[in-house]
Amino acid sequence: MTKTASLCALAGAVLFNVAPVDAAPATHSKDPPAVKVALRRVTESQYRHTIADVFGPGIKVEARFEPERREDGLLALGSAELSLTSAGFEQYFALASSIADQALSEKQRQAIVGCTPADPTQADAACAREFITKYGELLFRRPLKQAELEPRLESAALGATQAKDFYAGLELALTSLLVAPDFLFRIESAEPDPANPKQQRLDAFTKAARLSFLLWDSSPDAELLAAARTGAIHSEQTLRAQIARMIASPKFEDGTRAFFADMLQLDGFGNLVKDPTIYPKFNQAIAESAREQMLLRTVDLLVHKQGDYRDLFTANETFINRPLASVYNVAYPSKAPWAPYTFAADSERSGILTDIGFLSLHAHPGTSSPTRRGIKLLEIFMCQATPQPPANVDFSKVQDSTQGTVRGRLLDHMENEGCSGCHKRTDPLGLALEHFDGLGQLRTTENGMPIDVSADLKEGRIEGARGVGEYLRNDPRVPACLVRNVYSYGVGRKAFGRDRPYLAAQTKAFVAGGYRFPALVAQIASSPEFFSVAAPKAQAAAPVAQATVTQLQPSGE
Amino acid sequence: MKLRFNRRSVLKGLLGGTAVYVGLPALDAFLNSNGTAFANGAPLPVRFGTYFWGLGLTDTPTGGTRWVPSKIGPGYEIMPELESLAALKDKVSVFSGFRVIGDGRANLVHWSGHASILSGIAPAAASKFDGPSFDTKVADAIGTSTRYKTIDIDASVSRQPVSYSTRTGSTFASPDATPLALYTRLFGPGFQDPNSDDWKPDPSIMLRQSVLSAVTEQRHALMKGLGKADQMKMDQYFSAVRDMENQLAVQLQKPEKCESCVVPAAPKELPRAASVDVVNENTKTMAKLLAMGLACNQSRVFTFVHTAGSSETYMAGQSKIYHQITHDEPTDAQLGYQPETSKLASQVMKGLGAFLTELDAIKEGDGTLLDNSLVMAFSDTGYAKIHAIENIPMFLAGRAGGRHKAGQHIAGKGDSVTRVSLTAMQLAGAPVGEFGAGSMKTSNPIHEVMA
Repeated sequence: MTKTASLCALAGAVLFNVAPVDAAPATHSKDPPAVKVALRRVTESQYRHTIADVFGPGIKVEARFEPERREDGLLALGSAELSLTSAGFEQYFALASSIADQALSEKQRQAIVGCTPADPTQADAACAREFITKYGELLFRRPLKQAELEPRLESAALGATQAKDFYAGLELALTSLLVAPDFLFRIESAEPDPANPKQQRLDAFTKAARLSFLLWDSSPDAELLAAARTGAIHSEQTLRAQIARMIASPKFEDGTRAFFADMLQLDGFGNLVKDPTIYPKFNQAIAESAREQMLLRTVDLLVHKQGDYRDLFTANETFINRPLASVYNVAYPSKAPWAPYTFAADSERSGILTDIGFLSLHAHPGTSSPTRRGIKLLEIFMCQATPQPPANVDFSKVQDSTQGTVRGRLLDHMENEGCSGCHKRTDPLGLALEHFDGLGQLRTTENGMPIDVSADLKEGRIEGARGVGEYLRNDPRVPACLVRNVYSYGVGRKAFGRDRPYLAAQTKAFVAGGYRFPALVAQIASSPEFFSVAAPKAQAAAPVAQATVTQLQPSGE
Repeated sequence: MKLRFNRRSVLKGLLGGTAVYVGLPALDAFLNSNGTAFANGAPLPVRFGTYFWGLGLTDTPTGGTRWVPSKIGPGYEIMPELESLAALKDKVSVFSGFRVIGDGRANLVHWSGHASILSGIAPAAASKFDGPSFDTKVADAIGTSTRYKTIDIDASVSRQPVSYSTRTGSTFASPDATPLALYTRLFGPGFQDPNSDDWKPDPSIMLRQSVLSAVTEQRHALMKGLGKADQMKMDQYFSAVRDMENQLAVQLQKPEKCESCVVPAAPKELPRAASVDVVNENTKTMAKLLAMGLACNQSRVFTFVHTAGSSETYMAGQSKIYHQITHDEPTDAQLGYQPETSKLASQVMKGLGAFLTELDAIKEGDGTLLDNSLVMAFSDTGYAKIHAIENIPMFLAGRAGGRHKAGQHIAGKGDSVTRVSLTAMQLAGAPVGEFGAGSMKTSNPIHEVMA
């Protein structure tokens, strides 16, 4: 491997000398080299949204994307640490060819290419240049440098000549844009701040991309790129105007869905399995519907109704479809694929925690799991991590779970010193949700015994799922956690101690404004801290010793 | 430079109507190639793979072992949890008594064990390794002349695809997780039947190569200004691009004939459930495909996950999962072990038995594919009830083309697990003399099993 690596490095070095890079239109050759402050792999949904925005929604994106990883509660933080594997690149390569093929099909090319070659059976350098320049900027989220344009022009010429088809040449050029690291990763760059030359600031294109990935879960559009090209994006006025425009756009719903799909950890549904002998109603359609239900509820409350974030935990209004109606055991009179549904005021169901999505995702294949639900509730909504369970747990006293309720079994953890510290925090909240089985179906008994859903918390005693909902609604850690997540998700790094005053101020404003999500996003995206530069470390960061249970599979509960 | 202009000249040759196979890129892969000679009677290549299952085997502190044979050396007796290996016993060596030595690092449950075995370093944090997994080193050494450097497979039907193969320690391989996905990778588009008589190079492959060279030309510019961690990520990206280039270059070569290669039919999709019967069925189906993929020379290296470290598998119809049972079930005072847990461990081992049987079913030369392979099978833990990282069960299966003196039981007496890993690397033909860090650093493989 080293031999090949050095060969490539050599090739790169020689090339650099032989063919000096021309200054790109938007950069100045006298500038010191840009500092690349971060490299974040584009997520699957960002990829899909970008392709739809750039080439139209008709393009099919069929591939298996690389698995993402959660760090500190967010995939957005994990993707900042991930690279690509060989199998992953293979998928991207095949996908790039397929997208280029579709985008330049006879039906599409008219709308997409924008210029007409003098002779469609031959290469046409001028039209190819126009095409590559335009799509290069949309895909790389910045103008192409001369050295990036040239090889693609060559590819286009070779392909056109060989296939006697101008568009076949463009296909090659486009494929090579789509597999470039500049597209597959978000490369964030900084430059000296003209107002304070000793300090770095994010360059204009990096700023534009941060905004659009946070607000739209997609690449910047032409208007935002224009604001970056002129540098106008550095002015507060333009920045605020762009944010307002972007929040008013229907694409803000995409951005909101992507954020909550990440924060609510909805990525586990694709592979959720339940034992069919225990939960015969469960199937893949239920899993997908359960996921969609949580997003519909969230987007409707926060974007369409511009509602109070805290209502997410207590509101009776949700959406259901036919498969879900069977699990909720309610009628589905509508002919539409989805319909609004309001649970009765005395129902045990209210708020997102009683959606079967939350309840079934955080359970075992054949049972519920109060510990898992408790851990996830603390982690997702309150940003409270739970440490890994100790290795040498003594379970010898645990009871047989074929008798009685799970509460009895968990009490043994509470008596064990090594376990009680965490289980005292996690289990009560989960036990209060025990009227819902591993699929989220309502029940009142387990193994013939009535289930006690009361729970003693530090703050007092709560009763059942409604009690949990009220508890979250009133806990100040809940809005603070949302604020921290929006910020970390947007900037792609964990919040540190030095971010604390900033996050506290943002939370205060969020609370004062009535817990409105769009206002929160606007306020964070327009703050200077959102664009502050964290210099890259010269050494690879030491791994954090404290483990969270994010990826932890069932612990011994 | 050489790489780039060869590409270009190939294309120009193509345009000028020259025969397309005259100007193949001189990739390192071809210079290093060590196994394309079997058509003219040279030794068959050795294949290497890892096989992982979760939750260990039963060996309790009270002495109730269900897998450690009492006899050391050749001719060990088959213990109850090894029953499914009985038929292949002469091709399998058993390693007991090897342990992870953390040098003060915490035992991260269901993680430290396999992280140490694969990377040689006790990990600082769960979900990451502190170094690359060693299968990637073997792949770099023996895997470059086939279409795929490595094939990563996950049979576990888990929530997330599971793989413990990593080059950076943080980005793990994305495995094929269904039989159909594996079939498509091995025998779907791009597969060239080595025994086909009318092989012609596909000229579009060269155009695809030009697409990649536009990317690799930017390597230097991209690396500039990146922080260390980001450089590592970019390195891995370019290493993935190189693997793709290698794949294309291999496809431009007329494949060597492989007698034992018979292209299989596409598999049917199995029901998605994580119960142990389904996972074992998955394992068998995917092992069959993999074995044929190896026989058809699509790859020489693989990683296989039967069940994850904190396995979610269960007996169909049982509400508790295996993992929970390992912790909850009391030790039977009379038997000295947990009977239900041991039953499940035997079920899980049926997966390994089925896997190896499929490799052994393919005739190659005078022996079988398994005879020309080395499979290191291992788990994340020893005695799962207490998350022990002592006495982690490890096996080396297959004769590695005669290099492995198989069929022995080696007692490690508290030695580091990395000794077994190093042995595996050397038997597979990787030029590695030393492996591991701290107390787990070793340059001392297990000579008893090396011919």
